[in-house]
Amino acid sequence: MSLVPRPRVNRLGLSLFALYCVGYAIFVLAAAFGTFEGGAAKGGLAGEAVAGLSWGVVGGFGLIIGAFVLAVLYALLARDAEGEK
Amino acid sequence: MIYETSTLAVAVFAAFVGAVLALSFWLGARARSAGGYFAAHGQVGWFVNGIAFAGDYLSAASFLGICGMIAFFGYDGFLYSIGYLAGWIVALFVIAEPIKRLGKYTLADALDARFQSRGLKCVAAIATLVISLFYLIPQMVGAGALVKPLLGLPHWAGVAMVGVAVTAIVATAGMVSTTWVQFIKGTLLVIVCAFVVALLLDRGFALPTKPIPAGAVQTIQRTPSGVLVNGAPLAEDNELDTRLRTEHGVGFGSVAALPGGGVATGPLGPVSYLETFAGSSVTTWRKSVDASTGTTTFTPVERQGADLLLPGANPTFKGVRDDRLAAKLDFLSLMLALFLGTASLPHILIRYYTVKDAAAARKSTVVGIGAIGAFYVLTLYLGIGAMTSGALDPTDSNMSAPLLARTFGDGLFAVISAVAFTTVLGTVSGLILAGAGAVAHDLMKDVLRMKLDDRGQVRAAKIASIALGLGAVVLGILFEKMNVTFLVGWAFNIAASANLPSLVMLLFWKRTTKQGIIAAMTVGLVGSLGWILGSADTLEKVFGMTAADAASSAIVPFSQPAIVTVPLGFLTLVVVSLLTERAGGAMSRPPETNTAQA
Repeated sequence: MSLVPRPRVNRLGLSLFALYCVGYAIFVLAAAFGTFEGGAAKGGLAGEAVAGLSWGVVGGFGLIIGAFVLAVLYALLARDAEGEK
Repeated sequence: MIYETSTLAVAVFAAFVGAVLALSFWLGARARSAGGYFAAHGQVGWFVNGIAFAGDYLSAASFLGICGMIAFFGYDGFLYSIGYLAGWIVALFVIAEPIKRLGKYTLADALDARFQSRGLKCVAAIATLVISLFYLIPQMVGAGALVKPLLGLPHWAGVAMVGVAVTAIVATAGMVSTTWVQFIKGTLLVIVCAFVVALLLDRGFALPTKPIPAGAVQTIQRTPSGVLVNGAPLAEDNELDTRLRTEHGVGFGSVAALPGGGVATGPLGPVSYLETFAGSSVTTWRKSVDASTGTTTFTPVERQGADLLLPGANPTFKGVRDDRLAAKLDFLSLMLALFLGTASLPHILIRYYTVKDAAAARKSTVVGIGAIGAFYVLTLYLGIGAMTSGALDPTDSNMSAPLLARTFGDGLFAVISAVAFTTVLGTVSGLILAGAGAVAHDLMKDVLRMKLDDRGQVRAAKIASIALGLGAVVLGILFEKMNVTFLVGWAFNIAASANLPSLVMLLFWKRTTKQGIIAAMTVGLVGSLGWILGSADTLEKVFGMTAADAASSAIVPFSQPAIVTVPLGFLTLVVVSLLTERAGGAMSRPPETNTAQA
């Protein structure tokens, strides 16, 4: 017997989780391998994204706000899947 | 710097603690059963629990530490904000609902739901105590470090105040009062910080009355006869920032030039604030120490705002600027530990038992993510504001946020100071409760099989919480002189290594055995601890070696173990489970339904 007795909700959660993991991994790898070369900024998080803000700032805010957006989305979809009122 | 006692701060803090203690004693009458003491009868509303998550999780490290790191180094502190918040995604999507269904009072309950194994419970309880200890020490040391500048009392007094208050809260009503402490603290923290950011945006940026030249060096020298500031004795009219304020109209940390050449921006929006900062020049201060003369020198260095919004300025994150793979692995490992550690922290996981069902667990996590995320967004503004407010104390980064608040008036400084102190209360309550549960419910009742009925468990937990509270006070005093901020990172590494593999595989792999879990937790715990103790970071910061000696003596190539020890935990669990499943170690019982607490 599965320890997660609502598999449909759980599949939904794992899909959204995978999506966030990809975003987080891209951000972290860009910071580690794409931002500096020889100690000088070359791109990655140092690049300009929008409104004069760097990808470091936009990406960081994106991960924080995106986490909340995904969380709310999951809560709404899970509620519908479980038929909650 | 000389800090005077803020009577208002003392009054606000005393009022908060008094109100919470009164609430605790009143609620204590309702928390006589184990279900009430450990899990608040499972009747906490999901919204209250969500805000309590914020109050439990946002410690002094988050509030003062992150803001201080941003104020001193720029973007790097925000990496902690991002990593800490990202960890809640793991909690929501992977852990929250299953753990609510599995467990009753403690993390060990959830892990052991299918096995009824004393060995498993023992290892899980020990892991809980070790992780809680590493998390607890920096909180208590932080309380002591805060109390002198904020309340004008010695270090030990701050530690004792927090220890006594928290012990009283936890020992009287357990999770019920802890929940309300954390709810009130979480609410105050987010609202007060949002208010400060609103004031910051309204003020915008402004240049000092007279530019600070490159030669405006400030010195502080400790001599046998006392402290000298810029060659004269330290006094109320000769503090470290006095000369700067007199000659330039501003203290440490200010804007040197604005985009477009103006002298002040006036009110700014959230995006234009960051955009303006990125286009500005900022006067930062480089610290150098001459040990032979006991002199610390602060030299002004003008830097571009855009450069300050790049990672890697702080030693913890310098790996991103290093071309060597080992240095980058250190950074990757820390970000992995932050991502996986949150959902593995015992004092966070036990909060899931306080709500009525899995749906409430899910909703409360969403609320928690909202509150915690809002706070972490604010940290970037608070840190940049502190960096450019002209009110930094270059000798103490932890004071950056309170000193920023003081630029808006003593009243706000007092409130922020009191809130800073309560951040310690909220987190320490959760840690002591998690530890008390591990001792009374896991070790005494289940491992040692002491005959404890419901009330006996509560009595044992209350005694354990008093003992843990006293122990926390002693440790907070003993560790006063040590740089303990890295201990929080350790706690995340150990939690992720010891707990997460077992939690995840228990939920998603039917062939998990109790021997696999025991082995994985043991390997994760011992492996991460051993790695940390053998790292260059620890050899330098804990054992006092020079950086060069530490680097050559270290037995591991980088300091953060998660990128090695977390996969090792998974591998150990899989191998041992496969080897032991035929010996009857596999899950043998259907999952226990988490019955409603009495």
